[in-house]
Amino acid sequence: MRVADSQIMGLLTGNLGRTRSRMFAAQEQLSTQKRVSQPSQDPVAYGQVLEERAEQSRVRQWGRNVLFGSQRLELADRMLSQTSSVLTRIKELAVQARSDTVSPENRQAIAQEVRQLQRHVVQLANSEINGQAIFGGTRTDAAPYVLGAGDTVTYQGNTETQSIAVGEGVTIQVLIPGGEVFSGPTVNLFDDIRDLLTALEANDGPGIETGIGRMDQAVAQVTTVQGQIGGLVNRLETTQAWLDQSDTLLSQTISENEDADLARAITELRLQEVALEATQATLSRVFETSLLKFLR
Amino acid sequence: MSLTGIFDIGKSGLFASQKGLSVTSHNIANVHTPGYARQEAVLAERGPVDGHPGQVGTGVEVAQIRRQVNSFVEQSLLNSRELLGRFDAARSGLLQVAGALAPSTELGIAAGLNDFFQALQDVSTNPADPTARTVLLSKATTLANRLNQTAVEMDRQRVQLDTEIRQRIVEVNALTAKISELNQQIGGAEVSGQQANDLRDQRGRLLGDLANLIDISTIEDQIGQVTVFAGRGQVLVAGAQSFRLVGVPNPGNGGLVDIRYDSGAGPVTDLTSVIDSGRLKGLLDLRDQEIPNALASLDTLTSTLVSQVNARHQAGFGLDGSTNLNFFAPAGTTARDVAVALADGRQVAASSTASGVPGNNLNALALAALQTTSLAALSGATFGGYFGALVSGVGSSAQSAERDLEAQDIVHEQLEARRAEVSGVSLDEELVNMIQQQRAFQAASKVIVTADEMLQTLLSLKR
Repeated sequence: MRVADSQIMGLLTGNLGRTRSRMFAAQEQLSTQKRVSQPSQDPVAYGQVLEERAEQSRVRQWGRNVLFGSQRLELADRMLSQTSSVLTRIKELAVQARSDTVSPENRQAIAQEVRQLQRHVVQLANSEINGQAIFGGTRTDAAPYVLGAGDTVTYQGNTETQSIAVGEGVTIQVLIPGGEVFSGPTVNLFDDIRDLLTALEANDGPGIETGIGRMDQAVAQVTTVQGQIGGLVNRLETTQAWLDQSDTLLSQTISENEDADLARAITELRLQEVALEATQATLSRVFETSLLKFLR
Repeated sequence: MSLTGIFDIGKSGLFASQKGLSVTSHNIANVHTPGYARQEAVLAERGPVDGHPGQVGTGVEVAQIRRQVNSFVEQSLLNSRELLGRFDAARSGLLQVAGALAPSTELGIAAGLNDFFQALQDVSTNPADPTARTVLLSKATTLANRLNQTAVEMDRQRVQLDTEIRQRIVEVNALTAKISELNQQIGGAEVSGQQANDLRDQRGRLLGDLANLIDISTIEDQIGQVTVFAGRGQVLVAGAQSFRLVGVPNPGNGGLVDIRYDSGAGPVTDLTSVIDSGRLKGLLDLRDQEIPNALASLDTLTSTLVSQVNARHQAGFGLDGSTNLNFFAPAGTTARDVAVALADGRQVAASSTASGVPGNNLNALALAALQTTSLAALSGATFGGYFGALVSGVGSSAQSAERDLEAQDIVHEQLEARRAEVSGVSLDEELVNMIQQQRAFQAASKVIVTADEMLQTLLSLKR
C-alpha cells in the first residue's frame, strides 16, 4: 500500500479532532455534573427526567397541601378541645345550680357565668386561619355564628365541606362545617345553652336538669367530631410520610438518569488525554522518519 | 548513426529528466493541496531509425503526464460529500430546535406546565386567598409566554434556514458556472491531445463542493467534459453551458422559497421535493418537516390546554360571582398566540357553585386534576407526557443525525485515505524520483560531454 503524506496528516488530524471532542464531552460532564443536559444526549433519559420532574413537582405540591390541611385540622381540633372543656364547665355550673340549697340569686350569678362561657364558645366556633373561618362551611369570609337577641345564636355558614388534593385522585376533607359540630347533627349546643340560661334565670329546676343532660350530649357530639378530625390528621400524616419517601425516591431516579457518573467521566477524560498525547507524539515522529532528514 | 545523433539522444535524456523533475517538483509543491492528484511523467522510447545491423534507438521522450486517479473512489467521495452535507445541516439544525424546545429539564415549557398546575393546587387549597390567585395568573402568563417564545424562536429558525437555502442556491449557481468554464478549458485542451490534469483537479474540487450542497450525478465525454445532473435528471452543467437554480418564494409556505430549475425557459421545474441529499436536503427537511412537525405538536398541546382549561373554568364561579369565563383567550389556540384572558385573580373560578364562594374549591381541584388526565386529543397522553414525548422525539432525531454524521465522517476519512493511496503525494517517493532524475540528468550530460570529446578527436584528425 502506498502511504501518501496527506493520508498520515488526515488520519492524525481526524483522530486529534475526535479525541478532542470526546475530551470536551467528558469535561462538560465534569463541569456541569450532568450526563444529560440536552435532549440529544440521551432522548429517552431526557424524556423520563421531564416526567419525573413533573411527578416530583406534584409530590411536593401535595406535601404543601398536606401541611396546609394539617394546620387547619389541628386548629379545629384545638378549638374543639377548648369547646369541650367549656361545655364541661357549663355542665359543672349547672350541676352546682341544680342543688336545692342554691338560692335564686346564686342561680342568677351562675347564669351570668354561663352567659360568658356561651360567648366564649361562639368565639371558638368563629375561629379563623389566615382570615378564613374554619367552621363556616365554604362560606369562609364571614363569621359563621352570630349572637342575636335573647342569647340566640344563628348559623350563617353553609353545609359544604372542603377537601384538598393530597395524591393522584386522592382528596382529604379539611373543613368541618359548624352545622356538623356546634349546631347539629344531634343537638344544637347554642340552643341548649340558651335554654339552660333561661332555666337558670327562671329558677326552673327541671329545666336545669334537662340542660345538664343536653350538655352531656353536646360534649359527646363535639368529641365525636374530634375523633373524626383525629382520623383525618392521621391520614394526612401517613400521606406526608409516603410523599416524603416518593420525593426522595424521585430525586434518586432523576439523579440516576441525568447526573454524571464522576468516576467514569474522570476515567474517560484521562483515557482521552493519553490518546491525545500519543497522537501528538506520533505527529512529531512523522518528520523524523522522512527521507528529507537524510538528504543533504 | 552519426555523432550528432548521439547529441540528440543525450539531449532527449536531459529534456526527459528536466520534465520529470518539473513533474516531481509540482507534486512536492502540491503535497497538501486539497483535491490534488499526483502526476507522473510517463517515459517512452522515441521511434528508432533503420540502420545496420538493425534499428537504432533515438532516445527518450515524455509520452504523457498522467494524473493518478481512481474514478470509483472519486465517485464514492462525491456521494459521501452529499451525505456529509445533509447530516451536518440536520445535526446543527435539530440541536437548535431541541435547544429551543427544552433549554434544560428544569426550565422551559415542561417547568412552566408544572408551575401552572402547582399554582392551581395552591388556589384549590386556599380558594379564598387572593395571593394564590394572583400567583396562578402570573404562572399561567409565564407558561403562555414560554409557548409564545418557543413558537417565535422556531419560526425564526425556519426563516434563518430559508436564508441559508437562498445562499446555498447562489453557491450552487456559482459552482456550476465555474464547472462549465473549466469544462470549456478542459475540452479545448484535450481535444488537441493535451492532458488537462490541473484543470481536472480544480473541477473535481468544485464537483465535491457542489455535491456537498445537492445530490448530483456526472458523466464524462470523450473530450473530458462532464455533464452534471441534479434531481430527476435536470442538467446543471452540459459542456460549456450551465443552468441555474432559482429560489422562488412560495406563498403557500409562508413565503419561504421553493427551489426551481431553470432550463432556459424560466424557473418552472420545482425541485424542492426532488432533492435527495446534500446540505440543501438537510436544510429543506428541517425547514419543511422537522420544525413544522414540532410546531404542530406544540400547537396541539396548546389548543388542548386552552380548550380543556377553558371548558372546566367556564363551569365554575369566581370570587366576584363571575361564571362562564374563559381562562385562556379562546382565539389563541396556537403556541404562537396563546394568552391568558383573565385579568383579575378574583375571576379564577375555583368554586363549583355560586353559593359556595369563597371556600368551595371543587372546580379548582378539577382544574388541577387536568395535569394527570390522559387526554384523547393528545393521543392518550397527559400534557407533561405529550411534551416529554415531543422533546424526546426531536432529541432522538438530533441524536441520530449526530451519529450519522460521526459515522459518515469516518467513512469519508477512509475514502480520503483510499484516494490518497492512489492520488496522494508521498514525499519519500518524490524524493527518490528527484534523485533518479538528477542521476539521469548527470548521466545524459556525461553522454553529451563524451560525444563532444569524440567529435573533438574527430576534428583534430584533419590537422
